Amino acid sequence: MHSSLSHFRIAGIAVTTGSITRDFIAEGKAQGIGQETLDRLSRTIGFKIRKTAEPKITALDLCEKAAQRLLKATGIEVSSIDAIIFVTQTPDHSQPNNASLLHGRLGLNKGAMAFDLALGCSGWVYGLHQAALLCTHAGAGRVLLCAGDTLSRLTHPQDRSIDPIFGDAGSATLVERSGSHQVMHFVFGTDGKGGAAVKVPAGGARQPISPETRREIKLPDGNIHHAENLQMDGAEVFNFSLREVPSAIQAVMISANLTPADCDALILHQANKFMVETLAAKCGFKVSQVPADAFSKFGNQSSASIPAVICDALADKLREKSLKTVGCGFGVGLSWAAFAGEIGPFEALPIVSISEK
Amino acid sequence: MALDFSQELAALKADVDALSKAELDTPLASLAQWDSLTVLLTLSHFEHVHQLSLTGDQVRSCRTLRELLSHLPSSS
Repeated sequence: MHSSLSHFRIAGIAVTTGSITRDFIAEGKAQGIGQETLDRLSRTIGFKIRKTAEPKITALDLCEKAAQRLLKATGIEVSSIDAIIFVTQTPDHSQPNNASLLHGRLGLNKGAMAFDLALGCSGWVYGLHQAALLCTHAGAGRVLLCAGDTLSRLTHPQDRSIDPIFGDAGSATLVERSGSHQVMHFVFGTDGKGGAAVKVPAGGARQPISPETRREIKLPDGNIHHAENLQMDGAEVFNFSLREVPSAIQAVMISANLTPADCDALILHQANKFMVETLAAKCGFKVSQVPADAFSKFGNQSSASIPAVICDALADKLREKSLKTVGCGFGVGLSWAAFAGEIGPFEALPIVSISEK
Repeated sequence: MALDFSQELAALKADVDALSKAELDTPLASLAQWDSLTVLLTLSHFEHVHQLSLTGDQVRSCRTLRELLSHLPSSS
């Protein structure tokens, strides 16, 4: 699906991570993995550091902190927010939703709309589109978009194919109505038949948790997981990304009448460094146009990774001027969402971590 | 320009470190680095060089480089 929206702007972004620093090489050594293998994985995939959350910190907490910092930095009154959208696959509870809980914590007006979007790595773009729709077509003046997950605690520590990948983070993006005629273009896609490539089989209505869903399964490659864990077929996700992301980016650039040479930045979901660099090359972008360090600093942060790239790599530029950007989130679903258009200037705050104390 | 078989073999070995010292019929399972990363790099090579999208299972099920290269249309 293609969509083009104007008369809205991003007014600021903040990102919060967990406070635990996980060192890939040190953890690998402790598990008895050879230095050569660890170096090879670090060099190729980009594994270095990831930031995960302490046990009592949830995506709701991470996003609340990001939202508080953003509201303080922008000086925007909570009472002026008409809607809150929470993108997450790791909500505090199955009911009520995170958006309603955050509505209460932040003290939003009772007239505000609050809903969750159950999406992962494509989720921030979906949320931005929904927030923009509310501003441009539904009379909202301001929408708070929160996107974050704590995926690190869903993986099995003895599943080396997935456990070192994820960091925990929450983001807050303020979207508001504006008089600007600048258009943001969006392209969305879904491959539901490929959904088994990234999944948490148990814990929902189809397969409720039970002693059986905690039964560990040893895989042919020696890794271990159970049905409540996040499971991923890395090769299939890689193929899906190479198949769908470049064509979505090409389509959204055609809508926006942009070429790679016109763009200041290609902002990709930081699945891992190898994936980002492979996609960037396939899309015809130069390395200098594509921030690719966030994975090595924070890990794969699910729906918070695009805002994290903006805060980590583009904040200085965005404080001063607008940037022509193209971006894409892609992952669980399988789902992808691309955007193209000018963003900024706005305040993208430095990334900070929070702890339980 | 299409590559001949020896060029295809050399290109694959150049792109995928773990395969660089393997002979055509070396059992891939005997290589120390025949792992999920090597499968990923192999997929990337076939996609980038040959615009050929293999599945992870197709690569994992190959026992030798010869079998890997048999997936190329020019080899059939």
